[in-house]
Amino acid sequence: MKSEILYPGAFPMVRVDLAAGEHIKAESGAMVACSPTIDIESKMEGGLLGALSRKFLTGEKFFFQTLRASRGPGEALLAPTVPGEIVILELDGVNEYMVQKDGFLAGADTIVIESKMQSLSRGLLGGEGFFILKISGKGTLVLNSFGAIHKIELKPDQEYIVDNSHLVAWSTTTSYNIEKATSGWVASFTSGEGFVCRFRGPGLVYIQSRNPGSFGAWIRQFIPVSE
Amino acid sequence: MTSNALCFGDEFPAAGAPCSVQVDGDGLTVTFKSEGGDGAREVVPFSALTLSAGGLDHDHLVVKWTSAQGERTLYLKSPDVIRAFRETVPDHLGLPFAQAAERVRQVRHRRRLVWGLVGGVILATVLGLWSGADLLVELAVSRIPVEWEQKLGESAYRDFLTHQEVMKDGPAVTALGEMTQRLTEQIPNNPYKFEVAVVKSDVVNAFALPGGYVVVFTGLMKKAESGEEVAGVLSHELNHVLQRHGLERIVKSLGLLTVVAIVLGDQQGLVGMMKQLGVELLTLKFGREQETEADLTGLQLLQRAKIDPSGMIRFFERLSEKDEGRMEWLSTHPMSTARAERLKAEFAALPKKSPEPFTFDWKQVQASLGSQPVAVP
Repeated sequence: MKSEILYPGAFPMVRVDLAAGEHIKAESGAMVACSPTIDIESKMEGGLLGALSRKFLTGEKFFFQTLRASRGPGEALLAPTVPGEIVILELDGVNEYMVQKDGFLAGADTIVIESKMQSLSRGLLGGEGFFILKISGKGTLVLNSFGAIHKIELKPDQEYIVDNSHLVAWSTTTSYNIEKATSGWVASFTSGEGFVCRFRGPGLVYIQSRNPGSFGAWIRQFIPVSE
Repeated sequence: MTSNALCFGDEFPAAGAPCSVQVDGDGLTVTFKSEGGDGAREVVPFSALTLSAGGLDHDHLVVKWTSAQGERTLYLKSPDVIRAFRETVPDHLGLPFAQAAERVRQVRHRRRLVWGLVGGVILATVLGLWSGADLLVELAVSRIPVEWEQKLGESAYRDFLTHQEVMKDGPAVTALGEMTQRLTEQIPNNPYKFEVAVVKSDVVNAFALPGGYVVVFTGLMKKAESGEEVAGVLSHELNHVLQRHGLERIVKSLGLLTVVAIVLGDQQGLVGMMKQLGVELLTLKFGREQETEADLTGLQLLQRAKIDPSGMIRFFERLSEKDEGRMEWLSTHPMSTARAERLKAEFAALPKKSPEPFTFDWKQVQASLGSQPVAVP
């Protein structure tokens, strides 16, 4: 599987080249166009129960697509729903990432996707819900974000503070605590930040430059109210 | 060689350098990957190491040491390596290792405990809503105005009748009208305008919707041996309406489903559920307590209307004798001899009144329904 980001910026696509017989997983609905040699199958990752738990608990789609180059080599174009950047990561079998529920776009068939339950405080206050995706294994992983993707590199014990709704993915070697943005409760919310995540390295944290929730709230004021 | 750990340090990428860790008697051998195979190799004696637990879930073993190149931090997760480590670890590291392992266990334990508690609270809330909160349900029901109830019932009633053959007139309709009038006259402060429809169907059934909408199937009228028997069933159904049993059930099941929907965060489903309510109304089953209540108040109403209540008891007895699935009224109204017995006892306790017969002839009413009374098979 070879992948390349086309039109980097707000409206990118990924071109994935598949050798004959090769297949990849993609978010349901991600396929934009593909060679006629490629078959699209829907597959419930992790069996019915896994798929059900993903659907109900993470809000992720019930089915992943499998794009299979079953009749010879070919290419597929994939795109996310929201405007925003795409990033390609290579997993080497040791690296593991936690990905917030809308962050997964596609991945090699050799990567493993699980729904994982967060601790109560992280689930309640972290802004990603109680269940997030844990992605491990070996191969290419394609993530998408809302806005631009920014990578934060943390050395061992280095700390960094991230607004919880800007998180996209973070390595499992990092750890984080949820805390109030400012020392007082009232100021925490009036500052517009509410809760933030204090990350501690080592590892990588990918963040998105826009907050989907705030954008939704902003756009709502322009939607005419029908009687 | 496959990597089983990530090593962090100044010259490594921030994501960590994949490496392979081997444990032997003296310490660790860390082999880094490089282009085209194994690269640099570092041998670290146990004496140079410090241990702790780390990572997102505190499930990594974190090993630190200072090498010639600077600070090194190793994140280990592979169970094989951790087991090998535990088996060969020298005494001076034994304590920190045990502490790290204890920390991992504590975190897992605490998380399980917290989730167990949360699960317990959710379960208790659901159970509480389902069973214990009858008072709450009654409170909620008492706040719902009768007009709402009527609208709710009427839409379901009209919807149901569009698919059925309703008898507009005839002796059966007149007879039911007489029964309804004699019964409703005896209801003090009646807020409902009762509407009773006779539906042509061989189903032995009758049901009541919230707001005073009652449907009686001709099958039930054919089965009954006297007008008093049908009046008994009618009185029972009217009392479901008067006691607002349908509304109680709706509020109860809505409460439970709402909690479930909120827990699962499925608000779309909630809207769909509200829409489905209309359909649910028709299959609404009353609870055992509500059945008993409707039986007893139904009996009292019959008594006040001077309709012989023994007809009701007889009909119940006859239905309970045949455990046949074909009788719809049985499936929604669990019949038991105990139920008829209770009614009998209750009837005996009531002051005796001389019943006044109906003005219609029941045999003629049945004959007008188009066929002979169903013979007992």
